[in-house]
Amino acid sequence: MKEWFSDLAGQFRLNFIDGDRWTWLLEGFKMTLIITFFATLIGILIGVVIATVRSTYDKNYESMKKKGGIGFRILSFFNKICGLYLTVIRGTPVVVQLLIMYFIIFASSTNSTMVAIASFGINSGAYVAEIFRGGIMSVDKGQFEAGRSLGFNYIQTMIHIIIPQMFKIVLPTLCNEFIVLLKETSVAGYVGIRDLTKAGDLIRGRTFSAFMPLIAVALIYLAVVIIFTKLVARLERRLRNSDH
Amino acid sequence: MTTDGNALIRVDGLYKYFGSNKVLRGISAEIDKGEVVVVIGPSGSGKSTFLRCLNLLEEPTYGEVWLENRLVTPVDPYLHPEVIEKSKTFGKMLPSFGKEHPSLGEEELKAALIAEIKSKDLLNEKHEGKACKALMKQIYKENSININLARQKIGMVFQQFNLFANLTILDNITIAPMKLLGMGKKEARERAVDLLGRVGLPDKADSYPSQLSGGQKQRVAIVRALAMNPDVMLFDEPTSALDPEMVGEVLDVMKELAKQGMTMVVVTHEMGFAREVGSRVMFIDEGVIMEENTPDKFFSEPENPRLRDFLSKVL
Repeated sequence: MKEWFSDLAGQFRLNFIDGDRWTWLLEGFKMTLIITFFATLIGILIGVVIATVRSTYDKNYESMKKKGGIGFRILSFFNKICGLYLTVIRGTPVVVQLLIMYFIIFASSTNSTMVAIASFGINSGAYVAEIFRGGIMSVDKGQFEAGRSLGFNYIQTMIHIIIPQMFKIVLPTLCNEFIVLLKETSVAGYVGIRDLTKAGDLIRGRTFSAFMPLIAVALIYLAVVIIFTKLVARLERRLRNSDH
Repeated sequence: MTTDGNALIRVDGLYKYFGSNKVLRGISAEIDKGEVVVVIGPSGSGKSTFLRCLNLLEEPTYGEVWLENRLVTPVDPYLHPEVIEKSKTFGKMLPSFGKEHPSLGEEELKAALIAEIKSKDLLNEKHEGKACKALMKQIYKENSININLARQKIGMVFQQFNLFANLTILDNITIAPMKLLGMGKKEARERAVDLLGRVGLPDKADSYPSQLSGGQKQRVAIVRALAMNPDVMLFDEPTSALDPEMVGEVLDVMKELAKQGMTMVVVTHEMGFAREVGSRVMFIDEGVIMEENTPDKFFSEPENPRLRDFLSKVL
């Protein structure tokens, strides 16, 4: 037992202290957070826009189809584009999307971080869009009618009335999507980005000992997810103010 | 069909079909400034749909709604003989129609054909040609009012209150005046507090809708609509979702409003309210106005047998 412990200490020194290898993990962690953060922003932005287009189309299909007109054609067009986007993004693995972005679409770019942010953002947007669409559809129809009856136009009603309520409804699912995204960024190493996972793997490659660096990486992910879940739970409690 | 009369709201030939279900079958009415029109009728009679057509929450299948001599709905070609006359259908039918009715003069013939097209619903809007469409566009351009602007002048109170669940009572009331009328925050809040005081809820400004009782919610909903300074208020069964002991407090607010001269259209089952406050009572059944009269005559000497039957059940 004693031997095992002293061996552990030695392992720790070898993997993290020698050559300041802990800074690799730190740098990798920073990279993971940066990619996750900006990809989340992009995902939410894409999600709101697509969910709005798709739910607008679903809600007004009947009445607009009858009248036809340029507005309906534009909306149909965008709805089709959104549908195509959702199908393609949700139908292919994120690693493949990342590789395609890096080696084909942005082949001339040297900024792999930006490419990764774009890839993960676009990927996440598809899932967020469906989460938001579900949220918009589950806001009571009367809320929308009340907004319109006061004189708000469609977009204003969405922005001031529906979307704030939608956020509250989707918060738990959205939190889940964030957690998935955080962990999904671990494949960024495929395009040479030194994120947290890649950093742990680099240490393993240098020290030829797998246990310490990989467990450390896993614990860091786990800690972030636990902290984030706690924060969201607190936010949910605060938002619940309005329904006692 | 343009600027005759001083009605605040004028409804012409309103039809509303939901698929094959014909909910409204030709309603025409005028609502003057200061009137309190109470609409009653059995459930499923179309009275709520009629009300919702007034601010276009439902879009009528045929017919027009005018607010202060401005057109709220799209142009209904059947209400404009000059539009029918420009249509392809009219041009195609005129020669053969003339042969069928050789005795008619030219003007009479045209009038008869217009009536024929109207009664048989022969216009096919998609294929009526440029002249017809251009004229409709022109009529719309000259007379229409933006629907969102119209709705600012038409307050609406719903059966299910529909207060914004994520906003405090104060924000519920101030959001529209601030965002739509450009009112300052301070002014909007002062007005809201004043209005809340008038409906007996001065201490609820910072509550959320879920913390209020049904009657309180409905009073707030009335205040929210009033905060936009509307010219007319629509009430869609405002007391139907309330516990009996809360009906009175909402009706009292509505009575007060009527006393102050607000123009109101009220769909309700409260016959007492109709009798006491209404300046006119309208009975809608099977999608048409079966009878309308002053409250006195409406309740004491109902003529229509269906109305008599209805009253015998509810009074």
